[in-house]
Amino acid sequence: MKLTGTIVINAPIDRCWALVRNPVALAACVPGIRDVHPVDERTFEGSITASVGPLDGDFTFTAVITRMEPPSSIDVEVTGLDSVTKSRLETTVTATLLEDPPGTTTLAYRAEVRVKGRLAILGEMVLRATATMMVNQVAGCLRSRLEAASS
Amino acid sequence: MSRAYDLIVVGGGTAGCVVAARASEDPARRVLLVEAGPDPQPVPGVIADPKRQSEVVLESPYVRMYDTERADGSSFPLLSGRVMGGGSAVNNLVVVRPMRADFDTWAAYGGPAWSYDALLPMMRAIEDDPEFADSPIHGTGGPLRLQRGYRLSDPADPPVKALIQAAADLGLPECPDLNVPEPFGICASPYNIRDGVRQSTAVAYLDPARPRPNLEIRADTSATRLILDGRRVQGVELAGPDGPDVVEADEVVLAAGAYHSPQLLLLSGIGPEDELRRVGIPMHRHMPGVGANHRDHAVVYVTFQGTTELREDYVIPKVRLIARSNPSLAVPDLHVFMRPSIRMPGLPPMLPVSIHLLEHRSAGRVTLASQDPDDLPIVRTGLLEDERDVRALVDGIGLVARLASHPALAEFYGPMIMPAVGDDWEDHVRTTYETYHHGTGTCRLGPADDPGAVVGPDLRVHGFDNLRVADASVLPTVPHANTNLAAILVGEIAARALPAPAARLES
Repeated sequence: MKLTGTIVINAPIDRCWALVRNPVALAACVPGIRDVHPVDERTFEGSITASVGPLDGDFTFTAVITRMEPPSSIDVEVTGLDSVTKSRLETTVTATLLEDPPGTTTLAYRAEVRVKGRLAILGEMVLRATATMMVNQVAGCLRSRLEAASS
Repeated sequence: MSRAYDLIVVGGGTAGCVVAARASEDPARRVLLVEAGPDPQPVPGVIADPKRQSEVVLESPYVRMYDTERADGSSFPLLSGRVMGGGSAVNNLVVVRPMRADFDTWAAYGGPAWSYDALLPMMRAIEDDPEFADSPIHGTGGPLRLQRGYRLSDPADPPVKALIQAAADLGLPECPDLNVPEPFGICASPYNIRDGVRQSTAVAYLDPARPRPNLEIRADTSATRLILDGRRVQGVELAGPDGPDVVEADEVVLAAGAYHSPQLLLLSGIGPEDELRRVGIPMHRHMPGVGANHRDHAVVYVTFQGTTELREDYVIPKVRLIARSNPSLAVPDLHVFMRPSIRMPGLPPMLPVSIHLLEHRSAGRVTLASQDPDDLPIVRTGLLEDERDVRALVDGIGLVARLASHPALAEFYGPMIMPAVGDDWEDHVRTTYETYHHGTGTCRLGPADDPGAVVGPDLRVHGFDNLRVADASVLPTVPHANTNLAAILVGEIAARALPAPAARLES
């Protein structure tokens, strides 16, 4: 499953970069996420809770920053495991930032999600809609945090 | 070659259990049923309890996944049951007859014996449907018990009541019996449940047959190749817990499902010449239709922002819509289900609706990955390769959008979020479709002079005297219905078509 989109933020690129490259700070904008903590400088762990109909599940994940070109580009590999079906999610996220005009930054993201295991059976019904809602929520949160800090 | 059995049934799935049970009613016929998956006794709770259907699909060892791809390279899984009872042991338990139009189509391939009127007595004999005991099209006393967890005359939960009202205002009438020849509207779903227990064909058909001394069952045993001699199958090579084995019989019925019945034919050298050459299998008989004509039902999801949470177990919904994507269509081409909410802390509830296209105008193919019987076959579904199928699902999204915006349902359904109103719905259909898990057609029915046909009206493989296919792979088109009951029907047809052991001995 591929997800792409852009988020326009009325804040300078350096301020946006500082948040994007810090998963612990970024996690405050991601709904449902818990217990995010650094393992080392580039590796972070945490968990997310979700329910589908009668099923309740926890996802534990590890995020590794695999490439950084401050302040314009970052790649993150996310590996998750769900508690119900024991399926494995592998996600590659690439984010690029561009400041144009000055004071306005466009964050473009591209994510490719690969599901290995039974969770794939619920794939499109659950993952895409959830990801879309999460991205919308994250975008709003980023704007409010960064734009408030810029004003 | 000495004869060990009168009949070998390869595959203890939905249809295979029917064939083995019916065929062994004749005590003179020695029957061997071979199933690749386990045959757990007693049936585990995860299979038997309808309320645990999500668990059997998502967590149990009884489901097998086959990865397949869309045109854009993204993947999604196909499923089959890998346990005695096959799909009927792991599916959503629905018992839905094909529509009259499906039988009309099949009769064009298989002759009048495949018409609705010819097969109605068999459909009645299959079922035990006391809720419609007085109906001339229903039966009582058959092996398969039907029950409706909800009837349209029952008091409804507010969201179901709202759905019925919204559907009525959109011209979708109440349809209390889903199994009429031409169902349309909002229908109560019938399930194969008796006293709270799933009635797979392993329970409804095979269990009463198990004590018969003329029926032998080998579970955890795969058929790896047919042993052929001209027009006859001499035996079947097996791989089981005790190692390889060869069994011999006068008659062989393949009931391994739409993916594995063609796989076994191909592994045995029966199939398209170029396909056999590609994988290095010596050709026994060139049959272009083996593995071709794969059909299924495409499914897309529309997700709304919910104003509330719907907790109902989505796999056993109370009602379904049977609708037309275009009012000019003669036959309804959509199933629509309202699904329960997806919930995440910090997000409003999400309410998916699934739209299931009941037609498949293009066709896919099942091919071999290699000569190794343990390698899963490769399935190219062929779904949505015809523009009209894409259009039908886009129109289905429009129908669902109108439905959800009805004042009665707007109490529960907020704005569309996936796809949103301004999104490219056609792109959404093409890049996110999945399947209803109704693979069919890969050993299809047709006359002997039809190059794409694999079996004739009596399900005998063309060019062979004692080899039949009896599962959903023989259906020329995917029915406008779930395929479980169609597979049971095929099993019944095959069992009746078998020659009597005594007659065969004399010939």
